[in-house]
Amino acid sequence: MAEEPDQEGSEAGSEEVVLTPAQLIRSLEQAWMNEKFAPELLESKSEIVECVVEQLEHMEENLGRAKGGDLKVGIHRMEVERIRYVLSSYLRCRLRKIEKYFPHILEKEKTRAEGDPSILSPEEFAFAKEYMANTEAHFRNMALKHMPPNLQKVDLLKAVAKPNLDSFVFLRVKERQENILVEPETDEQREYVIDLDEDSQHLIRYKTIAPLVASGAVNLI
Amino acid sequence: MDPAEVEFLAEQELVTVIPNFSLDRIYLIGGDLGPFNPGLPVQVPLWLAINLKQRQKCRLIAPEWMDVEKLEQIRDQERKEDTFTPMPSPYYMELTKLLLNYAVDNIPKADEIRTLVKDTWDTRIAKLRLSADSFVRQQEAHARLDNLTLMEINTTGAFLTQALDHMYKLRTNLQPGESAQSQDF
Amino acid sequence: MGEAYVPVEAGLGFEESFLSLGDILMSQERLPCRAEIALPRLAAVLGKAGPEPLAAVPEGTKLEIPLWLAKGLYDNKRRILSVELPKIYRESWRTVFSADANVIDLHKLGPFYYGFGSQLLNFDSPENVEIAQTILQTFIGRFRRIMDSSQNTYNEDTSVLVARLDELERVLFQVGQKGLNDFQSWERGQAQITATDLVQKYRKIKFIDLDS
Repeated sequence: MAEEPDQEGSEAGSEEVVLTPAQLIRSLEQAWMNEKFAPELLESKSEIVECVVEQLEHMEENLGRAKGGDLKVGIHRMEVERIRYVLSSYLRCRLRKIEKYFPHILEKEKTRAEGDPSILSPEEFAFAKEYMANTEAHFRNMALKHMPPNLQKVDLLKAVAKPNLDSFVFLRVKERQENILVEPETDEQREYVIDLDEDSQHLIRYKTIAPLVASGAVNLI
Repeated sequence: MDPAEVEFLAEQELVTVIPNFSLDRIYLIGGDLGPFNPGLPVQVPLWLAINLKQRQKCRLIAPEWMDVEKLEQIRDQERKEDTFTPMPSPYYMELTKLLLNYAVDNIPKADEIRTLVKDTWDTRIAKLRLSADSFVRQQEAHARLDNLTLMEINTTGAFLTQALDHMYKLRTNLQPGESAQSQDF
Repeated sequence: MGEAYVPVEAGLGFEESFLSLGDILMSQERLPCRAEIALPRLAAVLGKAGPEPLAAVPEGTKLEIPLWLAKGLYDNKRRILSVELPKIYRESWRTVFSADANVIDLHKLGPFYYGFGSQLLNFDSPENVEIAQTILQTFIGRFRRIMDSSQNTYNEDTSVLVARLDELERVLFQVGQKGLNDFQSWERGQAQITATDLVQKYRKIKFIDLDS
């Protein structure tokens, strides 16, 4: 059924990474946890999502042909359900962030340089735009049109809070990192550098290690 | 994260079962399992082990560390040290709960094990709160927290990170100018 | 897990959050001020209405106006309005706070001690640094007690514990309680991954649709 490791996920644009189905599921789980704990919307892992969906469809097709009640089929079904849970929880977590930060996410998308990858999947982008339009229409119809003409505008970029990149996160290190600069918290303190050993765990500001989350060198927990 | 979701992750840990049925190798998306032969131990993820056990298709073998003597050592060590000692499994709490709930008949001295694990947990959570308080008091910027498990982080993590966020914002009050654009509408 | 409505968090520091109900309530709290110049036609708006509705507020009048209005009228170049520090942010109270912040009933004195105090810094008081310092130290000083009480109390009436907490501390207390409650109900085997309310409702709606 799914024994042939033929899944390809092209990550970070140019380089093609070949993943076995097992590795694919693990990267989905990683993306899920990072998304859950990161204060901002991370880059969409569209390739992973597509490959997982493909795997699930393929498996379900096979299961559809199999006779029910079989122990083996039952085990496959359970696995499919578990993977589907992670997948939908991941996508839902992203939707919730889009609902929370939509003006900033759309602004980032607007100012994105040509060729840079989008942090949104095409579906998410459509969702964000629609959410923005609906919010604006709702504000206008419910309140703003009843206001004096000079008060009929709300700048959503100012009205909706930005993600707080200064918030603290817990992380586990996957690949050793050296010379991470930790900024002082108070005037009496000084900045210092730390090394992040493999498998060590830390509590630190998201901002300090955000690039390492994006590159996959650390996992949020 | 929801504790049930942490448990979900714990259910991927491999445990040993002794099946009472035969089945060929299964090629799951997440990896291969089996083959299953009656009476022969085989490793499966916990979610499957529990399911098979519920259908009376296997006997579960407790992990090596799930043993009164070993857990007493772990508990004593945890009480002696100021730092977090390494746990025998990153999901020790979840595995204990799940195995004792679903396979209590396969685990000797289940009640003692439950108490020992809970005592260890309580000691660790008390330490976690102590370190959280000193982290806040010293206004530190970084802490290394090796050996803490995901479930432990999860019970106090949201509270701590939210408190640190508030504290950070209160501290930015001391640096006017930098973030002093009040919002005008 | 699947809350359909997630309230907008209050901002803190110089920034208020426009869509936060907490911040709207906070900015409605009144602030003692003095009119530094005559304010034409504002008597009615500022609650000083005499027989004449469009009368001016004379220079030197003492006012108690909501924070949002004070912010709007305040201008550090043209002295329109001067703001008086509410008593809990003044030096005498700051001394009390630094002695032992834990004994203070911040709800009675606040209830938006941190949020309102941070907003006060917009008015360029010469005591700004001391106020900001006191607010920060108060939070640090009270942290342990809030953490312990929120993480030790399972299935109990918590109204006594939160009675003396400021609004921000109450939110924090609830976060701590949620962590504890979620864990305890998981431990007792009551927590399972379930479909969210929304999904369940949606299924029902679909069902009804099919029937009709």
